[in-house]
Amino acid sequence: MAPRQEVVHTGFSAYDTFDGQLAREGWLLIGTGDKLCLLGEKIDPIWQRGALPGFTADMGDGPVREVLLGIVSPLRRLMLIGEGDLDCRLLALLDDEHKTRVRCECWTFMTKAGPTITRIALQGVRGYDKAFSRLCARLGGFENALSVEMVAGRLFPGTTGYAAKPAIDIAPDGTAFDTAGDIIRNYIAVARQNEDGVIEDIDSEFLHDYRIALRKIRSVLSLFRNVYAADFTDDLKARFNTLMARSGRLRDLDVYLIQRETYLDLVPRDMQPGLKMLFEEFAAERTIEQRRFAAHLRSDGYRREMRDLIRLFDTPDSSLPKGPKADQPALDYARVMIWKRYRKVCATAAIISDATPDEQIHELRIHCKKLRYLIEFFAPLFAADEIRILIKPLKKLQDTLGDFNDCSVQQEALANILDGLDETYADRKLEIAKSVGALLTMLDQRQKRARGQVTAYFMAFDSPATRDGFERLFRTGGGAS
Amino acid sequence: MKTIACYSNKGGVGKTATSVNLAHSLASAGYRVLLCDLDPQGASGFYLRVKPSRKLKEDRFFRDVKRFTGAIRGSDYDNLDILPANMTFREFDIFLSRMKNSRSRLKKALKAGGGDYDIILLDCPPNISILSENVFRAADLVLVPVIPTTLSERTFEQLLDFFRQRNLKHKKVMGFFSMVQATKKLHGDTMTRMLGAYPKRFLAAAIPFAADIEKMGIHRAPVAEFTGKRGAGKAYDALWRELMEQL
Repeated sequence: MAPRQEVVHTGFSAYDTFDGQLAREGWLLIGTGDKLCLLGEKIDPIWQRGALPGFTADMGDGPVREVLLGIVSPLRRLMLIGEGDLDCRLLALLDDEHKTRVRCECWTFMTKAGPTITRIALQGVRGYDKAFSRLCARLGGFENALSVEMVAGRLFPGTTGYAAKPAIDIAPDGTAFDTAGDIIRNYIAVARQNEDGVIEDIDSEFLHDYRIALRKIRSVLSLFRNVYAADFTDDLKARFNTLMARSGRLRDLDVYLIQRETYLDLVPRDMQPGLKMLFEEFAAERTIEQRRFAAHLRSDGYRREMRDLIRLFDTPDSSLPKGPKADQPALDYARVMIWKRYRKVCATAAIISDATPDEQIHELRIHCKKLRYLIEFFAPLFAADEIRILIKPLKKLQDTLGDFNDCSVQQEALANILDGLDETYADRKLEIAKSVGALLTMLDQRQKRARGQVTAYFMAFDSPATRDGFERLFRTGGGAS
Repeated sequence: MKTIACYSNKGGVGKTATSVNLAHSLASAGYRVLLCDLDPQGASGFYLRVKPSRKLKEDRFFRDVKRFTGAIRGSDYDNLDILPANMTFREFDIFLSRMKNSRSRLKKALKAGGGDYDIILLDCPPNISILSENVFRAADLVLVPVIPTTLSERTFEQLLDFFRQRNLKHKKVMGFFSMVQATKKLHGDTMTRMLGAYPKRFLAAAIPFAADIEKMGIHRAPVAEFTGKRGAGKAYDALWRELMEQL
């Protein structure tokens, strides 16, 4: 092996979303100089001009963005996860005539916190296949030792560990009480991990995940009935409700702004200016709301409350007041709860026809959501592939129900805006009113369409296979791992 | 895919240097180039440090597409591959004479094996033979290095005569002055006379006689690799640009 040119020393910055969407799919995105470079498994580095990646929607066109669009959620910002030094070496395997038979590119990443890692890429030269395979074999031990995901994780320890749905270990012989505590403790941690991103306003997913974590805790409190003492449960519910309520408006505004393009596409072109005005108002209000909520997260009162809640659930054999079902084995408890909820979903869905009032659909949505949470909470107790078979059609049904609900919530909210136009949007009232009216019509149509699909998706969910699955796992026993 | 043959029925006029440097310039400009060494001495391969082909023996060059493509080697330069020669290439005329359609076999072989390339450059041995007739039929352009001396002038005329006799398209023939020494009066006079006699058969770009080109044998690399674009490198740069306009 001989060097083909001088070693190039440079710096690099690594980027990923907070939840490590790139690392998870086996990619490492770095910026070096004025270029972005995407490294993947078994593929040549992909290059593009540009400095900071940010949101994929805002990036300049290029081959890196092209790949990123397929991997990264448009709602997530690609943020800096770390920096370091990078040495690039070009080497060549030469024969006795000093002819290159294999080209080799070594990139050595050096960071403060992580180990030094070298990525070796071999490039064959036409007609010298034997030399290439011999060198591959010699390097075999190294070649596949580190996946890109591992590289990213090791270069910047602690940056890719976030999971919105952490894998929570539940011991089959644990009690319902233990399980509830484990789940709540883990989701408080999830909520806390998102606080900085909300304060820094990196992207809207931080708040979304923060709220889902709190909502899951609330559902544990209401779904795990009789696991904690009733007074204690009520008190905790009230405390988590208070935490949730603080960010409700901010999340609503986020949702509007995320839907901006969709909404604009829904209404005729001449109605768009009015709607754009409304969105400007939303954006302005969001700025204020975000600051208010960030200040809240930084406040002593909030920090104290979080500390107290963490302390409550942090000790494994805590002295929390137990309810009558506290000591029931988690597995038995799970089966009963899930089975009951499943029966409720079926019963509610069975009577849905074109004539049933909307409330019935909402009720089905709530039951489905609770069923989903329960299954996911207790999933570690059952075989993963069996759970997956049940979740998949449930998810599809929930998507339709969610769409139905979103339309209805948004119609209500928009109707409220129409009512309140006098005070807030005095000078633009007429134009905004016209656009909102048009949007309401479209949303109403979409809601009707979603509603029409509910029965079909329920039928798909209510297949003999899912029925069997629910019975086997949750009713008659068996299937437990 | 375009085929350029670097050909002269006279030896020592700079065919191989032209083939290697031209191929290298074209590859640097982004064309995918295959340099096909038809000269059994294998000088092109030597300049690019590629060993003679071992498995492309006898008539396999013309009959066995798999062996043909299998003998192609990547050079040390991007976009430039080479098909190295070997000593059995001496007997091409014998193999060709035994084959049907013996005058278009090369064209067929290049078409079958050279599909990956924008340009195939043929470095030809110095003679007029069945192989050269194959070359003339396969090439889109026959590039002839001409040292501006009386002997070269004579061989250039002979070549054009041959084209006329065989009903080949003489427009394919494109000469350029090679190893030009500006200080020699003979060179200047010959160039003026030949440009007058064959105004459409000569490129404006000329390659000077340069020590750097001779040093290719020491460096075993195209001249632009060790001189950059000054001097001889610049001349080859001008040559390929004019050549591509002709194609």
